[in-house]
Formats: sequence, structure tokens, C-alpha cells
Amino acid sequence: MDIDTSQIYFPAEDTYLLIKAARTEVKQEDRVLEIGTGSGAVAKSVAEITPAVLAVEINPHAAQYAREVNGIEVIRGDLFDPVCGEFDLILFNAPYLPTDPAERFDDWLEYALDGGPSGRDVVERFLREAPSRLATFGRILLLISSLTGMNEILKLCHAQGFIALVTAEERQEDGETLYVLRISRDLCSLCGT
Amino acid sequence: MKRRILDIICCPVCKGKFMLTEMEGNDTEIMEGLLTCTACKRVYPISSGIANLLPEDQR
Repeated sequence: MDIDTSQIYFPAEDTYLLIKAARTEVKQEDRVLEIGTGSGAVAKSVAEITPAVLAVEINPHAAQYAREVNGIEVIRGDLFDPVCGEFDLILFNAPYLPTDPAERFDDWLEYALDGGPSGRDVVERFLREAPSRLATFGRILLLISSLTGMNEILKLCHAQGFIALVTAEERQEDGETLYVLRISRDLCSLCGT
Repeated sequence: MKRRILDIICCPVCKGKFMLTEMEGNDTEIMEGLLTCTACKRVYPISSGIANLLPEDQR
């Protein structure tokens, strides 16, 4: 298949913020999973620190680019569907833009951007499925935007038994703020104290 | 697809484990082949080193 680069989300401000947070967070022995790796820029940067990085990507153009250009171990799939292992660090630059169905382009790039009408459709599914793939002391770094609704995201985290903290943020020129949430299990709630 | 990830991937439909049919590969990687779910028998291709683990109607 020829790679159509117009169908790939290339690194932008959100990517760089997640890279910065991920490089601070990752440890050498971490088993890392990146959901929706796109061009593979985040996974590549993390792979300089730990060798055990697996990426999932739904878009065939991006998956091929991530493998051939950035040397990422990538499988094609939808979020956690094709993964059964347990991971110490899960990374996700979520599609977080609120998008009306009428605004959809219906191409591969849409998967990188479209968060449904609320902007939270994919994040919600991600948070629901993440607990089964996260090691007991594992961490998630989730990139979202002020457009996605921080309070609602924090509620979703709480509903899954997670604690979430903002570990990086950056205000954009247009007034939008990008956030990286560091999410881990609320271990106190697990033992009922 | 690196050989070492075979035990951390699964059938996206039923979460079953895979049986590998290898057509082309080297010591560490499988370039061309098939992954067959040992539970539901669905088959997923590995092409140019990338396993396509989307259900057939989403590929």
C-alpha cells in the first residue's frame, strides 16, 4: 500500500506536550502501550528510554508510516480491542475535538480528531476499557483539551476508580488549553479504606 | 510484527489467543503471515510486518 501522508496526523503542539510528559514519566523497565500512535512520534521518543513499546493504530496510512519511518512496533486495531497484555504505562493523545456528525469528513484523519458531539466519546470508551489492561501500579498519560471538558473527564476517571492529576498543561494562542492527565488506580478505594 | 508481542495480542472479537502461520519472516519479525484465533477461528493477516487486528468488516 502506498502511504497517503494527507491522511496522517503529524506532530503538533499536543504531540509535543505528550512527548514531554511521557519522557518524564517513563521508566526503563516499563511495558508501554500507546493507543492511536499516528505517525509514531510519541512512541519513538519513549522507545529511546524503554525497549518494550507497542503501539495500536486504526489508520493504515499512519500505521505503515509509524513502522517504516519511525521504526515503531505497531498493530492495526481499535483502542484496546486487539491487546490482551498488562502494561505499566499507557499513552493516549485522544481524539478530543467536539464534532457534529454533519461536520465529519469520513476519512482516516477523522479518527485522530473526532471526539463525537461532546468531544468525549472516544475518551469515555478508552477509560472504560483501560482498567483491564493497566498493571496494578500502572499509569496512564491522557492528552485532552479544555474543549473536551475537564470536569466531565475527571468524573469519568473517578467512575472507573482512577485518580487523575494534571501533569502538564499549555495554553494555546487561541485560548484553548492542552492538558496531560496522569491517571492511576485509586488504590485506597480498592482496599476499602 | 515482532515475535515477542504474540503473547500480548489477541482476537479483537473474542479475545482468544492466536495461532501463527508464517509465510515470511526472520529471527525477530514476521513480515507476512496469518493469525488464526484458536477460539473463534477468525483469521487476521500480517502484511508488510503489520498485523491487521480489525474485524473483517472494519478493514
